Amino acid sequence: MTIQRKRSSNINLHSMRKHFTLKPLVIGMAGVLLSACGAEKQQATVYTNENDCVSANPGHEQECRAAYKDAVAEAERTGPKYNSQRDCEYEFGASQCRQYNSSGGSFFMPFMAGYMLSSFLSPGPYHTQPMYTSYSRNSPYNSRWITADGRDYGDLRNRNLRVGQNAYKPKPAVTKTMQRGGFGSSVRAKSSWGSSSKSSWGG
Amino acid sequence: MLRQLSTPRPDWQTRAHEFGFNFHTMHGEPYWDESAYYQFSLKQIEQDLEDPTAELHQMCLQVVDAVVSDDELLKRFSIPESFWQPIADSWQHRDPSLYSRLDLAYNGNGPAKLYENNADTPTSLYESGFWQWLWLEELVDNGQLPRQSDQFNSLQEKLVHRFTAIAEHYQINNMHFACCKDTDEDRGTVQYLQDCAREAGLLDKFVFIEDIGLGESGDFTDLVDQPIQSLFKLYPWEFMQREDFAPHIQAAEVNWLEPLWKSILSNKALMPMLWKLFPQHPNLLPSWFEDELHLADESKLVKKPIFSREGANISVLEKGKTILHADGPYGEEGFIYQAWYPLPQFGDNHTLIGSWLVDDQPAGISIREDKHAITQDMSRYLPHIIL
Repeated sequence: MTIQRKRSSNINLHSMRKHFTLKPLVIGMAGVLLSACGAEKQQATVYTNENDCVSANPGHEQECRAAYKDAVAEAERTGPKYNSQRDCEYEFGASQCRQYNSSGGSFFMPFMAGYMLSSFLSPGPYHTQPMYTSYSRNSPYNSRWITADGRDYGDLRNRNLRVGQNAYKPKPAVTKTMQRGGFGSSVRAKSSWGSSSKSSWGG
Repeated sequence: MLRQLSTPRPDWQTRAHEFGFNFHTMHGEPYWDESAYYQFSLKQIEQDLEDPTAELHQMCLQVVDAVVSDDELLKRFSIPESFWQPIADSWQHRDPSLYSRLDLAYNGNGPAKLYENNADTPTSLYESGFWQWLWLEELVDNGQLPRQSDQFNSLQEKLVHRFTAIAEHYQINNMHFACCKDTDEDRGTVQYLQDCAREAGLLDKFVFIEDIGLGESGDFTDLVDQPIQSLFKLYPWEFMQREDFAPHIQAAEVNWLEPLWKSILSNKALMPMLWKLFPQHPNLLPSWFEDELHLADESKLVKKPIFSREGANISVLEKGKTILHADGPYGEEGFIYQAWYPLPQFGDNHTLIGSWLVDDQPAGISIREDKHAITQDMSRYLPHIIL
């Protein structure tokens, strides 16, 4: 007889422990679930720089260099951004971050560690995506390939990946914020009432 | 249903720290209290709490269906007119909901009575879904409770599954989470939901409600100008619909949790509407709008603001006279009246049961005790078992 329990059968206690690593303030956002869609997977390779790509793909020097340029531009646009160098290095490791200035302010971003490129043998145009990794012992991304949205593509030593079409989808850009503080005024008004014992705005 | 004394685990505060339960003591008063627990029979749980919870929820959805298309009722619910259409749309699209908590008065016998529905921003989720679960596991492991002890609490499992379903519905792989500043309790609740979302494979990002920005694209933004595509907000719709950013809510096209149609359920006007649609239902208390008060033949009534949190601004009236009153900043949108039905007492304690739903599935209970007849936010949380 199986015993029907009325409570959660299993909770992963390890993942419920709170040893936080610092989360990036910004990560790129992909609009579509990678696992659910684009089921047809294709070969892709991660190259650490242009020459790495060129030597692996004789006769494709032009594409290698163009794809690299695309990836660098995309990294500027969608890479993880932190308020301080310390926060960025906490996640990505010492000397792994650089300052980046935009209209939205000054941020710190990790260096692009490589770029993912669809196989030149696949039909259609090539696809590319900037890739990151972490050298920080604090980070779950240590020695993993990740994209700007934090998706994990496996061990750093494995550069041959099988990915869905969506892996190359552009991650939306950061927008410019015109105004803040348009939510929360009810709390300010109601907090001034009575004792300071209010602990929750839920119920 | 029994209240049993129990020896607290000697290391529970260390465990609490380890798992990030930072609000077990609030304002110098204990909140989590494991010096006792409540014991239920399986029959009490399934017949008196679980089944009625599922049924009450379906009844509530019928109220939503009746209210969204009726201007008169929307007015009675004090919903700003500019949100009538967006709420109707969100209901039409069946925008997915995450969770709710029904507050029930139940003493172990007879039908549980519905006090209200916390459908928009329910708290005490972490202590229900995770912390009391861990308490039971550890008391069974150390031999304090018999091995066959169970608990009505599949919250965490159901929340993780629900996040997976919501991610598929909206085709998203990330979600923002928000609550107000300066409250450990709300931040803890939201962190728990982030944990559940991550377990479901979503990337979670946090922003305080007060820090949300309006981008030039018309999107809401987080602190680093990233557009907010999907947002769980532990912040009531009735506040948001009246604040500066309210006119931008529709154009921002956010996947909201809870969805906009929940505005109708988290509203005390729900109670008289339920009584109108399902008169004499055993799990309902007779309830009226202010202008229907002449229909009430009860001598003792509870007066509740249409919008309020944690017992604020509630009065008890006997033959028209106020005999008990809790202060607070609410009530400008009007009041509803509910037949007086006291919470059961176990010793000195008034005991309230929170019955959880994840989407439309009953998912467990939580128990709060208070020394006062009106449960305030200083009431204590006690675990329970099924034996």
